[in-house]
Parts: sequence; structure tokens; C-alpha cells
Amino acid sequence: MSTEIKELKFTTFKTNIKYSVINKRVHNIDGLAKVTGRATYTFDVKLPNMLYGKILRSPHPHARIVNIDASKALAMPGVIAVATGKDTPGVKQGIWRRYPELCDEQILPLEKVRYIGEPVAAVAAVTEEIAEKALELIDVEYEVLPPVFQPLDAIRKDAPIIHEGVERNINVTRHIEWGDVDDAFAEAEKDGYIREDWFRTSSQHHMCMETRAAVSSFTPDGKLTVYCSTQSPYYMQALLAGVLDMREGDIRVIAHYVGGGFGGKFELDAAIFCSAVLSKKTFRPVKIVFTREEDFIASKRRTPMHYYIRTAMKKDGTFLAREVRVFTNGGAYTGMGATALYLTGFFCSFPYKWRGYRYDGYRVYTNTLPSTAMRGFGAPQAMFCSEQQIEWMCADLGLDPYEVRRKNAHTECYEVPGQAYIQSCGMTQCIDKIEAWAKSKGNLGPNRAIGVSAAGFMSGGIFNWFDTPYSFSSAVVVINYDGKVDLYVGCQEIGQGSNTTMAIICAETLGVKIEDINVYSGDTAHSPADLGAWGSRQTLMAGNAVKMAAEDAKRQLLEFAYAEMGLNIVYDLDIKDRWVHVIARPERGMKYEDLVKRAIRGKDGQRIIGRGYYTPHRKGMISPAYSYMMQAVDAEIDPETGKITLHEVMTAHDCGQPINPLGLIGQLEGAASMALGFGYLEDQPMDEGKILNPNLVDYKVIRATEMPKTDMIEIDTYEAEGPYGAKEAGEGLTNPTAAALGNAIFHALGFQMKELPITPEKIVNALKEKKEKQGK
Amino acid sequence: MEKRLITLNVNGIDYELYINPKTLLVEAIRDHIGLTGTKRGCDTVSCGACTVMIDDMSVKSCSILAVQAEGKKITTVEGLEKNGELSPIQKAFLDNGSYQCGFCTPGMLMSASAFLKENEGKDVTEEEIREGIEGNICRCTGYNSIVRAIESVVKGNYKEG
Amino acid sequence: MIHDFHYLKPGTLKEALAMYAEHEDCKVICGGQSLLIVMRQGMIAPENLLDIKHLNELNYIKFDEKDGLRLGATTTHRAIEKSEVIKKYYPALVAMENKLASIQVRNWGTIGGNLAHADPAGDPAPLLIALKANIKVGSAKGERVMPLDEFFVDYFETAMEKGELVLEVHVPVTQPKTGIAYQKFNYLTNDMGIVGVAASVTLNGGNTCKDARVVLGNAGPTPRRSKKAEEFLIGKALNDDVFAEAGKIASEDCEPVADIHASEDFRRHVIGVLTKRMLKKAFEEAQGK
Repeated sequence: MSTEIKELKFTTFKTNIKYSVINKRVHNIDGLAKVTGRATYTFDVKLPNMLYGKILRSPHPHARIVNIDASKALAMPGVIAVATGKDTPGVKQGIWRRYPELCDEQILPLEKVRYIGEPVAAVAAVTEEIAEKALELIDVEYEVLPPVFQPLDAIRKDAPIIHEGVERNINVTRHIEWGDVDDAFAEAEKDGYIREDWFRTSSQHHMCMETRAAVSSFTPDGKLTVYCSTQSPYYMQALLAGVLDMREGDIRVIAHYVGGGFGGKFELDAAIFCSAVLSKKTFRPVKIVFTREEDFIASKRRTPMHYYIRTAMKKDGTFLAREVRVFTNGGAYTGMGATALYLTGFFCSFPYKWRGYRYDGYRVYTNTLPSTAMRGFGAPQAMFCSEQQIEWMCADLGLDPYEVRRKNAHTECYEVPGQAYIQSCGMTQCIDKIEAWAKSKGNLGPNRAIGVSAAGFMSGGIFNWFDTPYSFSSAVVVINYDGKVDLYVGCQEIGQGSNTTMAIICAETLGVKIEDINVYSGDTAHSPADLGAWGSRQTLMAGNAVKMAAEDAKRQLLEFAYAEMGLNIVYDLDIKDRWVHVIARPERGMKYEDLVKRAIRGKDGQRIIGRGYYTPHRKGMISPAYSYMMQAVDAEIDPETGKITLHEVMTAHDCGQPINPLGLIGQLEGAASMALGFGYLEDQPMDEGKILNPNLVDYKVIRATEMPKTDMIEIDTYEAEGPYGAKEAGEGLTNPTAAALGNAIFHALGFQMKELPITPEKIVNALKEKKEKQGK
Repeated sequence: MEKRLITLNVNGIDYELYINPKTLLVEAIRDHIGLTGTKRGCDTVSCGACTVMIDDMSVKSCSILAVQAEGKKITTVEGLEKNGELSPIQKAFLDNGSYQCGFCTPGMLMSASAFLKENEGKDVTEEEIREGIEGNICRCTGYNSIVRAIESVVKGNYKEG
Repeated sequence: MIHDFHYLKPGTLKEALAMYAEHEDCKVICGGQSLLIVMRQGMIAPENLLDIKHLNELNYIKFDEKDGLRLGATTTHRAIEKSEVIKKYYPALVAMENKLASIQVRNWGTIGGNLAHADPAGDPAPLLIALKANIKVGSAKGERVMPLDEFFVDYFETAMEKGELVLEVHVPVTQPKTGIAYQKFNYLTNDMGIVGVAASVTLNGGNTCKDARVVLGNAGPTPRRSKKAEEFLIGKALNDDVFAEAGKIASEDCEPVADIHASEDFRRHVIGVLTKRMLKKAFEEAQGK
């Protein structure tokens, strides 16, 4: 893909604008519904004449489906239909439709099953209990095939082939390179320092509070309505059209309230697909809700990775080159795994300047639960390896880790050669703040230390491998007769607060109060096209679209005021706090509500409609803007049991202009809890492809009693590409924490953790090893 | 399959139900009475999304048979507001952004309400507040904003007028 | 899915025992905090379910300075946790309850139900055994009392015979110069212990050990005393080295089973550490008395 990088420009400046709504603490606009039990999630949806669906799942990690006999199940009273792959067009689907080789998943497979828990058949019955009992009456004849579970085993020549025609089970490869890597290593070999390390990162699960859920209703006129817990109604609509051989316009996807996503819910899942297929068969609504166990074993997870990093630096700490090789455990299907493979490679260079960088990533199929996107999208794995290795190299050379990071950090207007260019960048300020904070803490005592990690993340991917080449967002603003504004967006609210952020941007731009905005989202019947909530794209991309739409509407409105007030040009006018006024003489003006009435009257009753749209053209290959941060974790370890106590997490954070401050704090704290879990608690151990902890007793997540104090220092920058200077704050904050925790342990106890999660047993074993070595 | 006629008092109202005795309290509340504010997030009594109050004590309604709750005062999230006026803890949640996706929120509010009732007029530490919501998992917020909301109510910022 | 059952709701204890004797395939439910999970998984599917949750006859906390503490079987964990008298005379019990499951579970689950479930990782049993508790069970035929450390037979199996219910737990008055401590090791503060250790130390005037109990949780099919560690301690002058050695003995005198959370070696290692620490804590408490 050729990339045109446009001219660099300086972007950091203080705007001196006093915002009315932006960066003010407001109630989330769906807050009332959520705190009173009124919010209706897909989990709660009940339609007239509705059936309940349950899914029969493969007990084998790899097997051919010889025959499925559902006759006994169909004969059971209360069972209305059974669906298998034969009831579907048999389309191999995937999220990245422009690359057919990555579309490898028939959700109800016709020939083979490739992981334990894969759907094989689905039943619709009048009660959930009958549907579940009916599953036991479906006879499936399998021809068991030899399975393979680890990527490094699956690439062997004699390994079983999981997808026909895919040699050595290598699903995707990615290569990123710039500069003369070998030359830089040669220089380091002469009088620099080179270090190489191998790491392993674990499987984490999104563990959304609302499991996968869908209610599909197919009617005799050939129309399908689907309520689902999703991050992108847009993608669901288009994907369903593809797999059901329907037109998008005959499919309506509704997701008013979604109980968490974190990257796991923007692909087509079995709840959505099977409920739609069953509804097509029965012409009745069908509801499928995954149990917590099903959610753990059969909804895609974070990509586990085998990481090799070789880094060269000068003895003074200047980074020279890095070589990275990664094998990811892709599991049975591609999902979003190709993107995670790519982004981990890119973010392993972040946030530093490298003379030479080379990354080779291999995503390998195995007979395990497929892996996909999860908050951070490959970057948390990259930071765990990169930031720890850098810390160890500083220790090896006796260099100050803050100084070394500062020396090599991205700065504004830096071009990552051929990949991306950085406009706003607060990395250096972040390092300064955390260094000062850490030093102010003084000596923390034995077995306790502060570990740090730098990080950064994209504000949405430029790429969209679904339909158009580039990502996009759009929005529509409608001003009503009473001045109330209907804001139609396609960005999806999944708890991160996008509805509120868009309302804030709209209100600020139009010059009205946030109470004046009604946000409509989560329904393809009226949502403008938008790729949805993933890759931290919405604040920047949907925000820009909303800003543009509101500006359009405002301009149309002001044309009437200009005509009324007989001014020089329309740009002499503005609206602020519902007051339409001459900028130079703010006392001259009229009430917004009055202007609206006159304008609409002037248009024969037509409402004022503004349209907005954003797509990142010519912004490199990855993202239009990047957040930056440095995070410090203060951790204490019990040296006898290895148990970790988290005292505090402090983050210096550059997300450009904060829009919704309560939302920002929420993202910081929520990301920290999830990333800490990634660091020391969460994993999905398997035995012969079977997940051993598919429940909340054995899969451990942080609770209120473990959560440490979290604080944030916001760094003041302004991103020209973002609405009002804003950048992402949803995913980036997940990236540094596991690395910072690892570095805290390194400084407290002196050893290097190369495997996630960092458990007490691993710490105790490392301590034993260290003692034995010292004894020798 | 047998059924029993029971009366459940939920949010001050008596509901007559004719149910299979194996019906869980959460099923009675959600499916039979139709109050869907209370959620379910697991099958192992772990997540707390189903938390309601029985006689002002927090309990997990997924691990109580509906028949055992007869004769008791059951409160769900829908019962926290009175005539459109939100309770102090609900207001505090709004002011502190103590929710994101909102799925755990009803259960969290019930645990918080039970904690506040039990500790009315007392001084509480931050650690005690965290213990008070330890039985509720939140995947979105990282809990600290919830703790701040509860703290705020304890401090008396939402005196009911 | 929970299988259908015939629901029995007795009005009195006598009625309950009669119903229990009368119905063949019958399981008892009290708080149900453990039972309903296994019923939902289909692991237990009794034809009859006898509900004793509401039997107030078994809901009591009684303390007498000579007789000690008596807990009725249907007393909730929360009631024990909040009891002023238990806090005064058996503070370790309050501390243990505070970290048991969650508040919601403690509000409804009962001590009798917990012990009857016989989970080897359960918190109350090791501590109660260290406190030398007895348990009273009864059926339509009569009652009997046994020391709690004889009550557990195997994984999730007790010495109760058909038709018997847990009626009461009796904790005798602790001897003078006695300290008790319990701690479990887990990843999350209120999780069941990967392993747990309860220790009691009774002193002879100075620092010599008159009596000791070392009880291990989740280190075998039942909560178990490490009699070897106890014998080692009795008669010794107590100090850190003795505690460490007792820990080592205890760590070898048990049968912990590995799972995804921890290997057998690590469990033994932690048992050693916890035993040492709990003995020291109990010793310090005993000294103060």
C-alpha cells in the first residue's frame, strides 16, 4: 500500500478557548436509564411469540462432521426447529471481507469442527429448558482428527492441517521494516550493546458482564430484525447480509444498550448467526444468550503470543535497531487476529525512534478457541516485552531508564519512516511527570518498588478492510422547532461513553447545552454509516463527523441570523450557551430558541439538517493520531508466598483535549483493572484444547478489594486532526500496565518475568532459582 | 412437575406467582414479575449482577429459591427511586460516573444500598467500602468511581430533604 | 438446569427430621449457596428437597462463660461475623467470616450448611477444629455429638448417616494463655483458599507449648490436623525456628492436589509458610493473655 504523507505541521499550542461543555463533568446521557434499571439490554429483550435457542457444541478439538441426526430432538414436544450448516448458504465469513483468504469461518460448519466448543447445531424451542434438553437428543457422528494446540507445533511440516490449503497452518504473515537494520546491529556489535529475549503472553478473555446475546426476528416479507450485544451494528448488518444471502436494507440491527465489548463483539458470533438462521426457519423471534461458560469457551479471546525481541543500543542509551519475531496462537479461525498481528508489530516500536526496525509476525492456526481483538489490540503484549527489555538493558548498562526513554522518545511531527507520522506528542512531558512522581515517593521499603512503562496507541485505524479501504464515520444533526437537537450517529455506545462524548461535541459546536441534545445510535434503521466501536476510533473519527454536522447545521441557522441582523459576513456570528451573538459585540444578539423558530418558519416548517463525515486520508498506514502515556505501578511482593499487593497506579497521559472528563477517568481506571488482570491474574489454561477455567470462580478478575488507587496527570497537548484537539483514551491505557508491573517486580526482587500472567508461584520459583544461583 | 402458589413482596407490592419450586428468585423477579433491572452474569454465584435486597440485606438472587423468599421484603433496583426521585446512591453514581456499560450497575447499587443502610450514622473506611462491594464484579469501571460515590453518600452529600 | 424436585417445607425441626426419614431420595437445603450451584450443573438431582432455612429453632448464637459458644445450624455467616459476643471471645471466627465468599453469600448461607457441604477448601472447618469444636447432628432417631475433626470423611462427604442433619456447632471455652489464628492463601482476598492454615497455641506459663493444633485446609480430601506438627510443638520452647520447623513438618504431612491455580510443590511451600506465620501469631496472642 503506498502512503502519501502530507506536509508536517506544528500542532501544539494552547487554544485559550474557554469551553462551555467540553471537559466539564456531566452525567452520562444514558446514566439515568442505567442507574434505575430501565436500560434494556439484548439480555432483557422479549418479543411476542418468541422462542429460545441453544447451541450444540463440538466436544472435539478437530474432527470431520460425518452426520447430524436431529430427528429425536425434533420429535420432542416444544422443539420447533433444529438448524445446522446445511440450513445456511455455507458462506465462509470473516470480518476482513476484502481479503477472502481471511474469511475462513462458517459459524455452523458443514465439514469440520476445529475447536472444542465450536457450534455444530442449534435448537429453537418454546422454553430454554426444553431447548437445552433437546441438545442431548441430537446425534452427531464425528470422525476425530489429530489436533494440534501450540503454534510452534502447528508450523511443523508433519503437523495436522487445520484449514485445507493453508500450508503449515500459517494463517497470516506480516512484515514491517524501515531503515538498515543489519547495518545498525553491526554497529552495535562493534561498540554498542545487544540483547535478545523470548517472552510468552497469555490468553485473556473480554469477560463482558453481558455475555453474547441476540434476538433475531425474521418475518414473511423477508425482513430480519436483530437485537444483539454488539460493538458495530453496521458490521453486523453487512455480515448478516453476506452469510444469509440477503440485502443489507432488509436487515435491521438494534443495540441500544450493550453490556461491554472490549473488542470481542464486533464480529459475527454464534448467538447472532444461529438465532437468525433459526428465525428464518421458524418465522418466529429466537433468543440466544450464552451462558458464562459458553462465553468463555466459544467467544474469541485475546491473542496469546510467543515473542522474540533483539534490540541494539549505543552504550549511551541511544536506540539503534530492533528485530522482532512473533508467533501468535491464532486458534481455529482468523477473526480479527490479522490486525492484532499487525498492530503488535507496529506498537512494539512504540513510542521510540529507531534507526532500523524489522518485524515479522506469523499467525498460526491451532485447534483452540480462536483469538481476536481485545482492548489494546496486540499492544499490551508488545509493551510487556519491549518495555521490560528496555528496563533490563538500562540496568545492564547502568543507565537511567527515564533518561534513556526520553532520549529516544517520539516527538511531535516525527515520521515513523514509511509508516505513520505523529502530529501531537506529549511523550517527553509524560516521562518528566512520572519521573518526578516516582522520585518523590522515595524509598518504599523491602520487596516493594515502582515500575514504569511508556506506551502509545492509535486513535482509530486508518484501515478498513471490510468494504472501503479507509475507515469512516458520519453523523446527522437535526434541529427541531423547540431548539432541541436530534443527533444521529453510527458510533456505538458500549459503556465507554460515546453517546455522551458526541453530545458534548455537538453541544459545544452548536453553542447549546448538553440537555438540548438527544442522541440516537445503535440502530441501523436510522444510524448513519459508521464502523463502530473498535480501535479507539470513535472520539476522533465520529467526533469529527459530529463536529462537521453541527457546524453545517449551525451555519444554516446563522445565515438566518445574519439576514436578520444585517452584518458584514456570517462569520461575524457565533452561538454560545444558547445565545446567538456578534462575536465582537456579544451583547448584540438573540436567543437561540427564537432564531430556530424563525429559521424553521422561513423554511416552511422544514427542520435544519446538518451532515458530517470523516475519513482519514493520507495519514499514513495506521492512524490519524496517537495517544501517549507513561504509567507507574507501585507493587509490593510477599517474598515467601509471591503474593502481589498493588499499592498505586499513576499515569501521565496525553490524549490531546479531554472531552468527557468523567469518561476519561473511567477509561483510565477500567483499563488499569483489566490490564492488571492481564498482568497477574487472568489466563485460560487448556488441556488438549479444553479450557479448564470457564467460570468466574476459576477465571480470576480484579475486585474492589484488589483495585489499587489510580491517579492521572493529564498532559496538555492539542491534536490538529482530532475534534477540538482530542485523541483516544480507551485502549492505550491498557497497554503499559503489565510491563510496569513486571518492571516493579524487577526492581523489587531483581528478576525478569518473561511469561504472563505473573503468578505467585512463578515469583516463588524465580526467588528459589535466584537463591540457588547466589549460593553457587 | 409440581407448582406452588406463593406471594412475593417486591418493592412494597405483593405479587402472586404460580411457579415450579426450583424457580430461582432472579427468575421469578425477571421472568415472572417482569422486573428486568436485575441481571445475571454467571452460574457460580460469583459476579453479583443478580444482587437484590431481602429485608435490607444484600443477597444474590441467582442462588436463592423464590419459595424461600416468601414473607420477606424484597427490594430490587426499581425500588430505589420513589415517585421519580432518585435515591442518594443513584444520584451519587450519576455525579461520579460510577458506571459504564451499566450491566453490573443494578446489582452494584443494591450492594451499595445495603452497605449504606447497615452503616448509617457510622464512620466507614475506604477499605470497608471496598469490602462492601467485594461480591460484585465490574469489568468496566475499575471500581474506584463506585467507591467515591459511596463515600460521597456516607459523607452526607446527599441528605434526603 | 436444575432438575424438578418435590419441595418439602417443614414447620418445625421435629417435622423436618420426620420428613427427612420418610423420604428416600432427599437432599436438605438451607442457604443453598453451595447446593444450588451443584444442582444447576446437574451433579445432584434429588427427587425431594427439604428446606430448613426458615427453622428458627436452629437459628441462634448462645454464649456461656463456662459452656462456651453454641451456634445453631441455620445461623448465617453474617450473623456470626457481626456478633459482638463472638468478636469478644473468638475474634478469629469473626475475622475468618469476614473473608468468606461475599457479603451476599454470608447474608444467606449458614454455618450448618457450610459444614455439611464438606468442601475441603471451606474456611470455617480448619478454624473450628483448631478451636476444638464439636458438632451435633440429629435425626428422627436421636442426636449425637462428635469432635469436628471426625466429622469430615472425604471430599464433600461427612460422617452423617441417612436422615441426619447438622443441628449445632459447639465451641468450648478456650483455655487460658491460648491464641488462635487462621489464614488462607488465595489470589483474591475472598476466594476460597488454595491452601489454608489454622493454628492454636496454649502456653505453659512461660514460652513453652502446653498444647497446639495445626489444621490444614484444602490440603487433602478433608480439613486435617497435622498431628506430626502438633506433637513436635508440644513441650517445646517456642521461637521462630520452631515455628519454621513445624511448618516444614506440616507441609509434608498432607496431600494437597495440584490444579490450574497451583502445583503440589507450591501448595506445600505455602502451607509451610502459613503454618509458621499462624503459629507465631497464635503464640503472640497467647502471650498477651
